[in-house]
Amino acid sequence: MIEVEHLSKVYGSTTALQDVTFEAQPGEILGLLGPNGAGKTTTMRILAGYLPATRGTARVAGYEVHDQPMAVRQRIGYLPEVPPLYPHMTVEGYLHFVGRIKGVSAGDRAQQVQWALEQCNLLEVQKSLIYKLSKGFRQRVGIAQAIVHNPPAIILDEPTIGLDPRQIIDIRNLIKTLAQDKTVILSTHILPEVSMTCQRVAIINYGKVVATSTLADLKAQQPDQLTYELELQGTSEKIEHGLQTLDGVLTWRWLTTPHPDRRKVRVICHPDTTIGHQLTHHLVHANVAVYEMRRLGTSLEEIYLELTTQEADIPSEIEADEPDHSVTAPPPANSEPPTQKDNPSIDEAEDTR
Amino acid sequence: MTLIFNNIVAIFRKELQGYFKSSLAYIIAGVFWFSVCAFSVAEVRTWIELKAAGHMVDVPQESLKSFLSVMFWIVIFIVPSLSMGLYAEERRHRTLELLATSPITNWAVAVGKLLALWTLFITMMLPVGILEVVFLSYADPPMAPGVFVVGHLGLFLLAATISSLGLFISSIADSSFLAIILTYALIFILFWLFVLGEQWGEPWETLFSQMSFFKHYATLTQGVLDMSSVVSFASYILLGLFLTAQSIDLLRFQRR
Repeated sequence: MIEVEHLSKVYGSTTALQDVTFEAQPGEILGLLGPNGAGKTTTMRILAGYLPATRGTARVAGYEVHDQPMAVRQRIGYLPEVPPLYPHMTVEGYLHFVGRIKGVSAGDRAQQVQWALEQCNLLEVQKSLIYKLSKGFRQRVGIAQAIVHNPPAIILDEPTIGLDPRQIIDIRNLIKTLAQDKTVILSTHILPEVSMTCQRVAIINYGKVVATSTLADLKAQQPDQLTYELELQGTSEKIEHGLQTLDGVLTWRWLTTPHPDRRKVRVICHPDTTIGHQLTHHLVHANVAVYEMRRLGTSLEEIYLELTTQEADIPSEIEADEPDHSVTAPPPANSEPPTQKDNPSIDEAEDTR
Repeated sequence: MTLIFNNIVAIFRKELQGYFKSSLAYIIAGVFWFSVCAFSVAEVRTWIELKAAGHMVDVPQESLKSFLSVMFWIVIFIVPSLSMGLYAEERRHRTLELLATSPITNWAVAVGKLLALWTLFITMMLPVGILEVVFLSYADPPMAPGVFVVGHLGLFLLAATISSLGLFISSIADSSFLAIILTYALIFILFWLFVLGEQWGEPWETLFSQMSFFKHYATLTQGVLDMSSVVSFASYILLGLFLTAQSIDLLRFQRR
């Protein structure tokens, strides 16, 4: 439905997009994820026919955006970052106007406007002037104008920005309903937005797509390591001995725990399916009591940070992550281990989870 | 073709409804009617007094001429205040992106807006026109209808020309205030060129007087249906529309 191939956009000496390629199928919600200024809005504007691309092609429903702009504009619904609203119009009057300029025939217009009002839960405010509406309603009117001509493809630029949590949930549900028979592309820099709404994600950074995949695949592509967090009772020597004698364990780090007689450790292992079983077995045999054991999944935040962190920053993080359990001294049971300060990246990842 | 027509009608309706819902438009209309009536009555009285004093004066003819010359200044003062928001407001509300991503050409948008403004001007002229017809129907000596019609054609063409130039300025200005200032400045420059041409002599005089809609307006208000004047006005209107469409197209290339 939407195919973007080798798209580039250069503004003077600034490259806003570089060789961007992705596609989205009908019934799919694709999230364009990236930091502010990464090129999300530029990509969407090119797709909507607002901006011409410097190189590359973009097709919507088989029509090329540069060669057949009018055909594309009829088949695309676009919500810019700021909803394009005329404040002195009523919601209904505005949607009728958008229907007219989108080419909805006079016979179908009333029905289409009614449908858009129902879809976006705007029936109660249809006679209200737009400037009197709250931000959440305005955003919904913005989405209604994007769907009033029933386009097969919808592009939403930051659709939930500035809304309260209740409104965000409403908009997410609305987007999911719309995506049942349409292709939806939405951009965001808010990570839960993607994991809660989208089936697939394209991560853009500095004008380049650094990853395009389903969320599950993205997680699966991450470094093949398993991380467990364990809360244990036993001397540090016993625990260390238990971990050292297990082949699958790569490294471990001591964490703080509120219990004075327990110890918490994060263990990084080879991706062996039996490693969890082996770990508990070894520790129990080393006479260590296991109170809690938890496998940590790779969160979207971690993937996102890893993919959108500048190359210049990466070596220092790798250095900080360097496993070296031979020098890791076991800490007193309830104090913060000194080695934890050496590894800020893991702590940050934990904070954001 | 039907689609383009529908698009023009959509923009026309939206703009016209916008004017009728805007308090500013009513204030402007009030100022317009007040100034038209005040100046016209003063002019007619002057001519009647001159005739009463024994001068050979064709009061209806002279009154119409005076009325149209007063209208010239009122139009160039009032119309920019109506055209200033045509695109500046679209920018302010970020709705240009909606228009630019809809299957509607920049030309259709510009034509729809221009027609709406022109229609508003004609609507504002309607009560004035009725007064004129009533006044002139008692004229002695009676007035040739052609003079009346051609004179008003000139007036409407002038209004459309100022609207078209105002439309273009509004498309390049960031705010309504800047748009009105720049429109007055543009009209002033065109007027100044006309005056300068007269001082510099040939070939500037011919060149600038042909370019000047002041001269063409004067020709039409004398009841002379000079096609070169009509074509000249039409050229200005088309030029304004063309520049508007181009400037809106150019906006898309700017980084915003």
